[in-house]
Amino acid sequence: MPRTTTVESSGCPPLRALTFDILGLIKVVEAKGEQKEAPKVVEKWGEPDASRCVLAASLVDREFDPLLGVARKSGKIEVLSPVNGDVRASISIESQNHPGSADNSIVGLHLFKGERLGSSSRSCNLLTCTSKGQANMTYVKMSKSLEDSGGESTQTTWNVCGSGSILCSKVDADESYALFGGKGVEVNIWDLNQCAKVWSAKSPAKNSLGIFTPTWFTSATFLCKDDHRKFVAGTNSHQVRLYDISAQRRPVVSFDFRETPIKAVAEDVDGHTIYIGNGSGDLASFDIRTGQLLGSFLGKCSGSIRSIVKHPELPVIASCGLDSYLRIWDVKSRQLLSAVFLKQHLNSVVFDSKFSTREAQVPPQQQDTYEALQTEEEEEKTVKRKKASKEHSGSKKLKTKKKSKRSKGDGNDIA
Amino acid sequence: MGRKRNLSEDGGREDEEEKPMKERRVKEKQEGRESMRPSMIKNKEKRAAVHAKLKQQKKVEKRKKVKAREAAEKKALELGEEPPPKMVPRTIENTRESDETVCLPDDEELFAGNDVDEFSAVLKNERSPKILITTSRYNSTRGPAFISDLISVIPNAHYYKRGTYDLKKIVQYANEKEFTSVIVVHTNRREPDALLVIGLPDGPTAHFKLSKLMLRKDIKNHGKPTSHKPELVLTNFTTRLGHRVGRMIQSLFPQDPEFRGRRVVTFHNQRDFIFFRHHRYIFETKESKQKESKGKKSKDEKNPPERTIARLQECGPRFTLKLISLQHGTFDTKGGEYEWVHKPEMDTSRRRFFL
Repeated sequence: MPRTTTVESSGCPPLRALTFDILGLIKVVEAKGEQKEAPKVVEKWGEPDASRCVLAASLVDREFDPLLGVARKSGKIEVLSPVNGDVRASISIESQNHPGSADNSIVGLHLFKGERLGSSSRSCNLLTCTSKGQANMTYVKMSKSLEDSGGESTQTTWNVCGSGSILCSKVDADESYALFGGKGVEVNIWDLNQCAKVWSAKSPAKNSLGIFTPTWFTSATFLCKDDHRKFVAGTNSHQVRLYDISAQRRPVVSFDFRETPIKAVAEDVDGHTIYIGNGSGDLASFDIRTGQLLGSFLGKCSGSIRSIVKHPELPVIASCGLDSYLRIWDVKSRQLLSAVFLKQHLNSVVFDSKFSTREAQVPPQQQDTYEALQTEEEEEKTVKRKKASKEHSGSKKLKTKKKSKRSKGDGNDIA
Repeated sequence: MGRKRNLSEDGGREDEEEKPMKERRVKEKQEGRESMRPSMIKNKEKRAAVHAKLKQQKKVEKRKKVKAREAAEKKALELGEEPPPKMVPRTIENTRESDETVCLPDDEELFAGNDVDEFSAVLKNERSPKILITTSRYNSTRGPAFISDLISVIPNAHYYKRGTYDLKKIVQYANEKEFTSVIVVHTNRREPDALLVIGLPDGPTAHFKLSKLMLRKDIKNHGKPTSHKPELVLTNFTTRLGHRVGRMIQSLFPQDPEFRGRRVVTFHNQRDFIFFRHHRYIFETKESKQKESKGKKSKDEKNPPERTIARLQECGPRFTLKLISLQHGTFDTKGGEYEWVHKPEMDTSRRRFFL
């Protein structure tokens, strides 16, 4: 019997996702309109260069003035505008800490939404963490032009761990606590206001055979928006653990998932569903209250999953990883909505959920002109594919035009 | 009973001349065409006769068709027209399911990715390949023989006894000694059945199933390879994954072949199976037959027209590989991340290929 299944991509709702790959390219994937079209790569920012490989990314997802932080392999951190890819600020962390240490790369990056240290629209706060365990809170002033950016930045640095290497770091929704964990480092929670350790986990007891599995956390996430006390961590020994700070130092719930290390953990907004991706490309959702498998996301996913994100509003998750596909799944039916091939190994993905409202802000006339420009641009693309670099700069110009229009529109709104 | 008689009548009818009997036609239509199938006849002799007759008919028809086609072609040639288009048989390969991961020649990102991948140091001649070959823990008969064949194929390959070392320890050792790849020949029941190729220092690990192994001594009229650096032929590695596997194989061999040696090593991919062959070739000049007769007529010509032909002689082992998994980083089964693993749910169609 031939096993034939026709996988119909049922199309996905309008959304905008940004993916980051090992060549340092940022690709914007958009699905537009009510016709449920397949998502396409709309924009590509940056030139392929291995030293600009993106290690971590963080997005401040808001209607007005969204920001995107990107940590590169070369030790640079760039703050971009997720609307058009303009570099707003760029600072270098590595040079200030450990000159010449190659393995001290950035593993975690968080861009703060809220006010901190008197941040305004011209500045932002960053939390970075390197694999050696150096957490770094940086205050960056941004400017429109690139030349004078990165000049003013104040830093506070502290050490998260003595030995081992950090592999995951997360900041909770209130942005007052952060967790760190890694190879040989138990998960510990830090109060960001005081820069003090609040809590640290205790490794589970030896099993019945007296075998102790070494600590090796590969991913972690806070469970719900309003509670920093519960979080989920995935380990290299394919175990998923739920910790509750207020209860005990050992995991409250722990269960195994398949046979390869857990590489990505993401939480749902409902506070009890989590999504787990592992090193051989299996993706599943669990109810963390009971540790029961809700179901697997079956698709032709063949490479390790590096990142999973849940869309803040739509019932949709996106996963990406070493098979260089961005896959968008429906949470309820666990069906693959669509897959976009993005050519390189992908390191992370973020959802830009407010893009539709932002687009709506552009007055209709200007939008029309913008669309006309865009169609022109697409025609150009088809004509001269080989001159991608030239074409790229052209598209940037167009984008800046659009941006200026948008800011005008904002001004009108305010007025 | 009635049916049986009917069938035998059917069989008999073939021999008779066709009678335009209305009744029979109607009956036939009612029963459908299935009644004509010889396999439904129960008498063996009759069945065989009917079958032979049908087969003969088909053969004649086919011959007619071919003749007609040839005639049309000839006619077109005479008239100086375009000959009718040649029919291309439909094969599984050329009806392959379209795949968006197939590499395109104008893909800039692909070249940028190639420039920085794990094999680029070897492929750009910055490092010369140095291969460590070892075995699984237990190893006997065909395993060592295969390894000695492999060593004669791959230049600068060194065999190390496995002993009781962990593979991770061996990888560490090979890294220190500046090897560029490690090949592990896995043997099961005295028969090599898997090949593990590990790129160093941080290259991927490919796990292949090895089958249809034929050693050099089992190949009739095999040649003895020289120690020249071989030429490498990689065919049909089309997708991103295939491209990567191809580059990995390429990085096992030196990038400056010595054409004097006339040695070719072929890795041919067909339907995700990678066929390995090792040949020696020679260009020979031979007097062509047609012009020989002419040469005889005019013997005063000094050099009769010659043509060069290429002759192949197979040497070295012959085997087939199939990719099971490609793992990111060096060998690590517990904590490794896979770039590609074969999963049963991916086999949705026999026309879907990954390399």
